[in-house]
Amino acid sequence: MPTGMVFTEEQEELRRTLRRFCESRSPSVEVRRLMQTTDGYNPQVWQQMASQLGLQGLAIPERYGGAGLGYIELAIALEEMGRALFCAPYFATVAMAANALVSSEDDDACAMYLPSIATGETIATLALAEDSGRWDEDGVSLTAQQSGSTWLLDGHKSFVVDGAIAHLLVVVAGTGSGVSLFAVEGEASGLTRTPLPTLDQTRKLARLEFARTPARLIGAEGAAGPGLSRTLDLTAIALAAEEVGGAQRCLDMSVDYAKVRYQFGRPIGSFQAIKHKCADMLLQVESARSAAQYAAQAVADGSPEVPAVASLAKATCSDAYFFAAAENIQIHGGIGFTWDHDAQLYFKRAKSSQLFLGDTAYHREHLAQRLGI
Amino acid sequence: MQSPVGAAIIVHGTDEQRAHFLQRIADGTDVYCQGFAEPDHGSDLAGVETRGEVDADELVITGHKVWTSGADQANAIYVLCRTDANAPRYHNLSYVLLPLHENNIELRPLRVMSGASGYFEVLFDGARAPLSNVIGGLGNGWRVAMTTLEFERVGQSMARVLEYEREFWELVETARCYGRHQDPLVRQQLAWAYAQIQILRYSDLIQASQPRTWIDTFANEYHRRFGEIAVDILGADALVRPAQPEGYVPSGWQEVFLSSRADTITTGTREIQRTIIAERMLGLPAEP
Repeated sequence: MPTGMVFTEEQEELRRTLRRFCESRSPSVEVRRLMQTTDGYNPQVWQQMASQLGLQGLAIPERYGGAGLGYIELAIALEEMGRALFCAPYFATVAMAANALVSSEDDDACAMYLPSIATGETIATLALAEDSGRWDEDGVSLTAQQSGSTWLLDGHKSFVVDGAIAHLLVVVAGTGSGVSLFAVEGEASGLTRTPLPTLDQTRKLARLEFARTPARLIGAEGAAGPGLSRTLDLTAIALAAEEVGGAQRCLDMSVDYAKVRYQFGRPIGSFQAIKHKCADMLLQVESARSAAQYAAQAVADGSPEVPAVASLAKATCSDAYFFAAAENIQIHGGIGFTWDHDAQLYFKRAKSSQLFLGDTAYHREHLAQRLGI
Repeated sequence: MQSPVGAAIIVHGTDEQRAHFLQRIADGTDVYCQGFAEPDHGSDLAGVETRGEVDADELVITGHKVWTSGADQANAIYVLCRTDANAPRYHNLSYVLLPLHENNIELRPLRVMSGASGYFEVLFDGARAPLSNVIGGLGNGWRVAMTTLEFERVGQSMARVLEYEREFWELVETARCYGRHQDPLVRQQLAWAYAQIQILRYSDLIQASQPRTWIDTFANEYHRRFGEIAVDILGADALVRPAQPEGYVPSGWQEVFLSSRADTITTGTREIQRTIIAERMLGLPAEP
């Protein structure tokens, strides 16, 4: 059982730094500018994140050029980015691709790709789901065939986060002897990348088509299952942290507005109907925070609880975020459902995050299985 | 020492009161029950109407308290009463310790919906205590009562998680016996329940030093829902009580279902808790 779950001074400082960074680099006006672009990020800011703050390499082991810090630090970074709807390929590169590489336990592949991820040169992502929208190995129909010293991929992937801009795609494919991971260059031959028009414009998705696309095998053929399962747990925990940040921001927006918005001659926050809504949001946000923080700690401690806690945190934090984002609109009334108010951005992110990586029912079923029920 | 009244005496009592009353609580001489709520004052506890009149060096108590648990095991009671008819709200109350027996106090068992009689009504008809039994001084009873309630809430938390876990796995067994553990909806409900218990456990680890109001109301609402899930898993069997020659004795899961309705009421209703969360934790303005 994880103990000593109190943030260190260094972790608190990291949070303050990230809060300031996101507030200065990612105010609402910048989020709205970037979400209208195809690439969806600012390359200069991306480089600052790596060179000034070392964010891309935060949780990458030191032998691969990272800072070798733990998952708690990564969770803090993601929480702050979620709070600001920070537009960057950070989740795809760090929470998805880097975790997939480390979990593959392929030292050569890690040595080849992780250092340039840590420096911010390489934007990467994990391509797992296909048109069927399943984030598990059973949903994989894309195939790989060996051809001399290389492999050729045929099929498609979809819902690939930042898939249109990634320099490196970590692709899950079947070879007849189970699933394997492959590294594909963003500009590889036979690869067609189509940006998808997303409900949530702040997180870019792409559909990828592979036609005899050359790829490098990561790990042993047909042996990617356990590493992929681990990756999905780590990614779910990362998403949970991001969701807590967004949910907290929704609660903050609601409380701030309820104090200054007057109707019937009094602030609406003095009405019990609004108070109780805000209290409901706090209950959800605080319970989500406990789940996400415990999950990050479980990863840091190498706890065997990780698979169960990952699904627990994903389900809890997704539902909390959606609840908070929906109530935030309701508390804001008419202004809350306008395009110009940010409540809609959080609402779209919340629903998209809830459905991404498997919905709440999927993760509750996962949890039930992992408890042996 | 798990004694809310003891905590109140430590915080608000005089040296003499601490020396006298704490020793008697610690060695088991005195066992206390609580006289706070009244038929007309539940959530609005500060409006209690039980009178305390000063008569020479004694306080004379007249009134009607309710929802007193453990009165049949106790020999003493701490009472929140109105000792000043003119002072403003929150400054008109006193907190006094009274002997329960041979003191013009009548106990009436109060039967709740599960059929059990865990609570009592307590009727005071000129019950007496020396003024030296008033904790915190005349007119300061509200603060002392708040300390008592805070301590009462904190005392529950860790044991609660363990009890919820035990109960959860017992329900999983029950679901298995009924073959309901394969039902996708039941699996969702069980996974949800497990998650709530773990969140409580995590919160005890993570947020031990923070205001706990949200955790308590979270726990109470969880447990009320758990009671519903439990009887839903039983299905038609929940329609029938175990055979008993007389009385109303529910099965274990029926008992959880029925008694857990009190969880979101007894230590402050969930609505009152939400108002407290909104005003104290979120800083929303009070009612005008």
